[in-house]
Amino acid sequence: MSVSEAPAATVEPPPAEQPGRGQWWSPVRRTGNRRAPGRAAGQRSRQGGKWWVPWLFLAPALILFTYFKFIPMGRALVMSAQDVRPYLGNTWVGTANYSEILGSESFRSALKNTVVLAIGQTFGSMLLGFCLALLVEGQTRKLSFIRSAAFLPVVVPMAVVAELWRIMYHPTSDGLLNQVIGLVGLGPSGFINDPDTSLASIAVTGIWRGAPYDMMIFLAGLAGIDRGLYEAATVDGASTRQRILHVTLPGLRPVFAILFVLAAVRGFRSFTEVFLLTNGGPNGSTEVVMTLIYKLGLEQNRLGVGSAGAVLLFLATLVLTVCVQLLRRRRTA
Amino acid sequence: MPRSLRKFAAGSLAGVLVLAVAGCGAGGAKPVAQDPKAPLELWTRTTPGGDGEKGMKKLAAAFEAATGQKVVVTAIFDDFETKLSQRAAQKDLPDLVLNDSSQLGTMVSQGIVREVDLGSIKGSDQLLESALSVAKSGDGKTYGVPYSAQASALLIRKDWRQKVGLAAPKTWDDLTALAKAFTTQDPDGNGKADTYGLAVPGSTKRGYASWYFSNFLWAAGGDFIAKQSDGKYKPAMSTPESVAATKWFRDLACTSKVIQPGAATMDTPPTNETFEAGRTGLYVVGPYLLPRFDAGLGKDKYEVVPVPKGPKDSTVLAEGGSVYLMAGSANEAGQNAFASFMISADGQKLGMAGQKAFNVQLPVNKTVDITAVRKDPRWKVYADAYRDSGRYAPSIPNWTPVRQDTADTINALIADCSLDVTAELTKLDKKLAETLGKQGVAAS
Repeated sequence: MSVSEAPAATVEPPPAEQPGRGQWWSPVRRTGNRRAPGRAAGQRSRQGGKWWVPWLFLAPALILFTYFKFIPMGRALVMSAQDVRPYLGNTWVGTANYSEILGSESFRSALKNTVVLAIGQTFGSMLLGFCLALLVEGQTRKLSFIRSAAFLPVVVPMAVVAELWRIMYHPTSDGLLNQVIGLVGLGPSGFINDPDTSLASIAVTGIWRGAPYDMMIFLAGLAGIDRGLYEAATVDGASTRQRILHVTLPGLRPVFAILFVLAAVRGFRSFTEVFLLTNGGPNGSTEVVMTLIYKLGLEQNRLGVGSAGAVLLFLATLVLTVCVQLLRRRRTA
Repeated sequence: MPRSLRKFAAGSLAGVLVLAVAGCGAGGAKPVAQDPKAPLELWTRTTPGGDGEKGMKKLAAAFEAATGQKVVVTAIFDDFETKLSQRAAQKDLPDLVLNDSSQLGTMVSQGIVREVDLGSIKGSDQLLESALSVAKSGDGKTYGVPYSAQASALLIRKDWRQKVGLAAPKTWDDLTALAKAFTTQDPDGNGKADTYGLAVPGSTKRGYASWYFSNFLWAAGGDFIAKQSDGKYKPAMSTPESVAATKWFRDLACTSKVIQPGAATMDTPPTNETFEAGRTGLYVVGPYLLPRFDAGLGKDKYEVVPVPKGPKDSTVLAEGGSVYLMAGSANEAGQNAFASFMISADGQKLGMAGQKAFNVQLPVNKTVDITAVRKDPRWKVYADAYRDSGRYAPSIPNWTPVRQDTADTINALIADCSLDVTAELTKLDKKLAETLGKQGVAAS
């Protein structure tokens, strides 16, 4: 289906459910019913072919997922209830790992830092990404160059990004960013070396890297908004601000929901930038759940406790995602 | 979701879990069928493609020529322990691992190394007592064969020191004064205040902050944990000696400000760079960096002296490498033979040969005289420091959490000058007590 066929899910209500069609094991059943813009696609999925054909096509991905995702996840779940010693034999400890990690001060402060960082990065990236998207929206050929340039931070490896920012964050007055803020009479700031500013500094790095990604998704969303609505608004005498507020933002609502989930999951699992920039320091001010799990599981070799932390993080992410989905479904229904 | 679909989803989830449990299988080390011809897989913690790897391959070739036993060398530097845990989880460990001696407790508690019968290691009677003692775990059994030792010494930018007109430091006060002069008197003469005294890797990664600080802590008579008469341990970071040492170290960062800025988030590579690039003039470090600084900075630009004596004595951190004979090997005889080769006089001399990266820093074999192999007098500084004042981290079941916790606190103190030293160290002692309790070595 193309974008022009189905302009925006929110503008046009999805086609009515057709209950009783298809069999429960067919993976195309739900998409066939829910998303098909016309009758043609819905009927095509029912014509010819055995029920197992789609499964056959899915098999390679499913096998890979089973081996590289589901089995490790299952093992982590098992390990979270064990004292893990691969060569001496694991012993079952029940919920001891969970009570240990939940009772530890460091986990709670890491959780707090993770939430703060996730919120800061999510909203920061969305705001900056939205502004960027508005700036570079359009058809001109030159814009595609600017868009590619703006997208660069996403494709640069995280290790390079971290090293770059470490240099920019140099804590003396001849550091790059300190020179910049020195122009307006501020600083020098310690940035990642000062417990008061370290978490915010990491969030800035994350926003810088995440915003262009959000920008691309916003651009795709903007392309789906009916131009006629803008024209109508202009005719009615709406200012630029009013057009953004009453046409663009409502039109982008599904995009916001998707971005929110993606960014929140990314924020919850942020590891590389923290590990490379501060490794949780100074004074634990940037310790997030992922770096704590890494330290517990892989540096101190307490894989059971580390797994328990990983399972808790997974549950938190799952709950968040499901909540956003439910909220979204209720609103669009 | 219709009920049938939900049932299906639940069923497949259960299936995944069953698979996962089956994958874990029953633990316990099973005897492995022995094959004395099986090639040995060796992991060494050094930069892949670097000189350390080349040297190790040379050693492996010499071993192969002497015994006909094949050794496959793999060099890994980043996340060495992580990768080893992954192989342990697959129950397919390399046969031999060359890593820091202080990893012993961790590896023993994981059950991934096998006990060493010193009787079957030829030449083990020629090992230095101090080196051998680190291969013994808390239960008195030997796991691993030390093949290399090292201690810390102080590197000084010689040209800077001459410019500020001070002598090589003998005491901590001299050290502070020299560091201050390096920070304030523009020793590189570029007209900018961009030089600092002491280079410190103060990051918490791998516990670097604690690693570095141990030199000063021990020289002041302080300690991380103190052994009691019953062989168990008590936390000792809040004793007056430990507090005084911490305060002194912290003042370098907070009061006299002679430690390089950003130390709190620097692990070793960026810290090495500050010394190499002429931003810091003093660095307490092991001998393995000499080849790098000779090449990058110039041999004539810096000098190697013993670390100045602390309030109590000149104790410095001793470390070393051990050959670990990994569990589940199909060729235990080959493992023993390789360990014997590494500690033999020939093996030690070969490991010390060359000009670049050395696999053997200081010999552990009593019959090998370092001055006969290496004419460079700087090595004697290290050899003397090791022999006279070297001290290893204690052998408790798992030293890593102790190092990590102390590193966290030291890191906090040099990063945040508003923290109260005594309060933080008291908090740390509580944590250490917990850790010792978990490991079953806490004194009542």
